[in-house]
Amino acid sequence: MTNLTEGTMFDVDEKTGSNSRRILWMTVCGFGIIMILACIAGFLSAHIAEGGGPLNIAGYAVLAALMSVTLALAFVIWKLFHQMKRNGEKVPRREKVYNRFMVGSFIFGGVTGLVLALTGSVDATVTSLISNNAMSPMLAIIMSVEIGVILPAMTFYMHKHAVDEQEEAAYRFAALIAIYAFWIIAPVWWLLWRGGMLPEVNGIALYFMTIFVALIVWFWKKYL
Amino acid sequence: MKNQLKVLRAMRNWSQADLGEHLDVSRQAVNAIETGKYDPSLPLAFKISRLFDLPIEEIFDDEFDGGDHV
Repeated sequence: MTNLTEGTMFDVDEKTGSNSRRILWMTVCGFGIIMILACIAGFLSAHIAEGGGPLNIAGYAVLAALMSVTLALAFVIWKLFHQMKRNGEKVPRREKVYNRFMVGSFIFGGVTGLVLALTGSVDATVTSLISNNAMSPMLAIIMSVEIGVILPAMTFYMHKHAVDEQEEAAYRFAALIAIYAFWIIAPVWWLLWRGGMLPEVNGIALYFMTIFVALIVWFWKKYL
Repeated sequence: MKNQLKVLRAMRNWSQADLGEHLDVSRQAVNAIETGKYDPSLPLAFKISRLFDLPIEEIFDDEFDGGDHV
């Protein structure tokens, strides 16, 4: 074996500061923005459901606080993005496609949620993730097409052009842990419901729990 | 699996992104291989081998001690 030692070896990444770490924080901030936008959408749609009209001072304060955090996170992303640019480090082709895809998804998801809430297209309970309340047929069709047709097509494109084998492995492991989580949570919930300790099993809540577990495991395997 | 990727990369003054570009993988993939958190597939291992013009066993060390087992 060649006698190679790290010793005093110069590493470009250690000198310039790792862009990987910046990307990690940008991703965390992006998820933060999505969650806060969802809070804003929920808050506004609840307000509309209660009759609408101008907000009171407390309402404006809540909205201002949420918007401030959103802007702060957006500023952090912008700042990190410029640091990355100044760094002058190349971004691999797959990563470029991936980053564009993620930014596009964040913007599309955030804007869609806000538009739906601000135009009163959905009421407060429909936007709730685990609600079983009725929604308009048009909205149901639009969201079904988004999830059933557009999302798989986009995912296929992303897996073909942006995802590399390390991330594929992260997805596979995340899927495995998520299915185990489902296999464990579903019967435990069902048994505790039969024992009168929990409300009836909610399929959509289980679905989101499974997605959440997959997301956490994927993030850990891909970035940490 | 232990490997010499970080050293080989540093010898060429490449960043993880530079190596990622050569291998058509992300920075995260390069980092995961370097730190031993992810073992590359055989096709990627061959690609790395060709890129650095070294046999695979000089880049990756499976820590086989030469015992009875294959």
